[in-house]
Amino acid sequence: MMRSLVQHRIPVVLAGLLAGLLAGWAAACAPAPEGPPPDPTVDEIVAAHVAARGGAERIHALRSMRATGLAYASGGRVAPVVREIERPGRIRLEITYQGLTGVYAHDGEAGWQVAPLEGRFDPEPLPAAVAAPSVDQLDIEGPLVDWREKGHEVTLAGRAEVGGRPAWELDLRLAGGAARRDFIDAESWMLVRTETERVVGSRRVEIEATFGDFREVGGLVFPHAIETRAKGRPQGLRFVVETIEIDPEIDDARFRLPP
Amino acid sequence: MRTLPILLLLLSPGAVLADEVYLRGGGRISGVIVERTDDKITVDIGAGRISVDPSSVERISQGPSDLSVYRDAAAELDPADVEGWRALGRQAMRKGLASQAREAWNHVVAALPDDAEANEALGRVFHDGRWMKEEDAYRAQGYVEFEHEWMMPEERESILSERSAREEAERQELDARIAADEEDRALREAEEEASRQEFWDSRMPPSGGVAYWDWGVGPSVWPGEPLAVGAEW
Repeated sequence: MMRSLVQHRIPVVLAGLLAGLLAGWAAACAPAPEGPPPDPTVDEIVAAHVAARGGAERIHALRSMRATGLAYASGGRVAPVVREIERPGRIRLEITYQGLTGVYAHDGEAGWQVAPLEGRFDPEPLPAAVAAPSVDQLDIEGPLVDWREKGHEVTLAGRAEVGGRPAWELDLRLAGGAARRDFIDAESWMLVRTETERVVGSRRVEIEATFGDFREVGGLVFPHAIETRAKGRPQGLRFVVETIEIDPEIDDARFRLPP
Repeated sequence: MRTLPILLLLLSPGAVLADEVYLRGGGRISGVIVERTDDKITVDIGAGRISVDPSSVERISQGPSDLSVYRDAAAELDPADVEGWRALGRQAMRKGLASQAREAWNHVVAALPDDAEANEALGRVFHDGRWMKEEDAYRAQGYVEFEHEWMMPEERESILSERSAREEAERQELDARIAADEEDRALREAEEEASRQEFWDSRMPPSGGVAYWDWGVGPSVWPGEPLAVGAEW
């Protein structure tokens, strides 16, 4: 049973205490910034969103990230997962199920996998049907940060509601051609949902990802609950993030197809 | 504490060592090697056995595996020790040991049929005042199963209708191309489409379902039901 994860906690405002305790950091858990006016522009929404995440300076400084947690699928299936992402545009996910650990990675140019879970024991290129979606995930900053410089297009589609809360809907056309919709919570300014369309087999499927349980780590705010599903369908994947490491040292070779 | 027996077994010098088979690229097979020849290495993963060509293996290490720790702890547990089985079930879930988790939670639900945690861990949902299998709850809500996914009947009909129209359009286009002396290119594209469909068809397990990863990239289908004990891959 997938519990809704839209309810999320805004980080507790500890700006004064933390500023004193963490001399080397800016306020690690910034209060929800003063928002844009009632009818904001794209730039105003994105600016508020970036500030809520911890600010552009910290986001730009982020080199790598490792998240560990559990993935829950239907039927009570649970698997530990480790997700690593590194500039510029590298990502790797390990999933362990019934003693088998699979690796799925993309080095920014090509994706590959070692998939004992699927009876495939040697490193091999990711099938195109699987590799294409992963390209959207390669930007450690997220596509809204410096979207113009990245060659993306972002337009304001209007108001929406996500989990009973008001949100701003943004239409994104990424530089590589992919399209998606981002929903920014109108009070917390966090990204609470994305919607993208994928081709699965011979049909188009709309995938929605919902983000919640936002917590501050190293001066940046990250979701610790992610739920993905095909829109309108009851089954989905739920991720519970347990730890996030900021800027861990990751061997670049972990992202490249082994020889 | 229920976790204490598990920790003691881990630290015990008599704990059974298990095997970690490392594949090139970081994949791993964790369990107990039961056979090792020039042609294959067979590992008991706790839900059956899996064999791999030695050429795919980078190295093998020995040490307490999650599976061996579970087995040792389970052997010590009284079948009626509900909270002990609960702790063991939680631990097995956290390690991704699906078969072992199922075994442990079945012990809990046998004693406490309405235990919410155990039922959820076994993939059941509470619907219409009782615990039931997920698929039964979907069915009760009007969903239908189509190609290993649950959806409303209207969506299934829409997919089938689109597919039929597309196949007809493709057939007509193919006929036209053939007629226009583009047979070679048309046949190549048909083969590519068949290959794409074969890829998806080959990854449709009896259960498990399609997995949509929008947080990183992962397996295109979630593995199906844990293998029966003794099953081979």
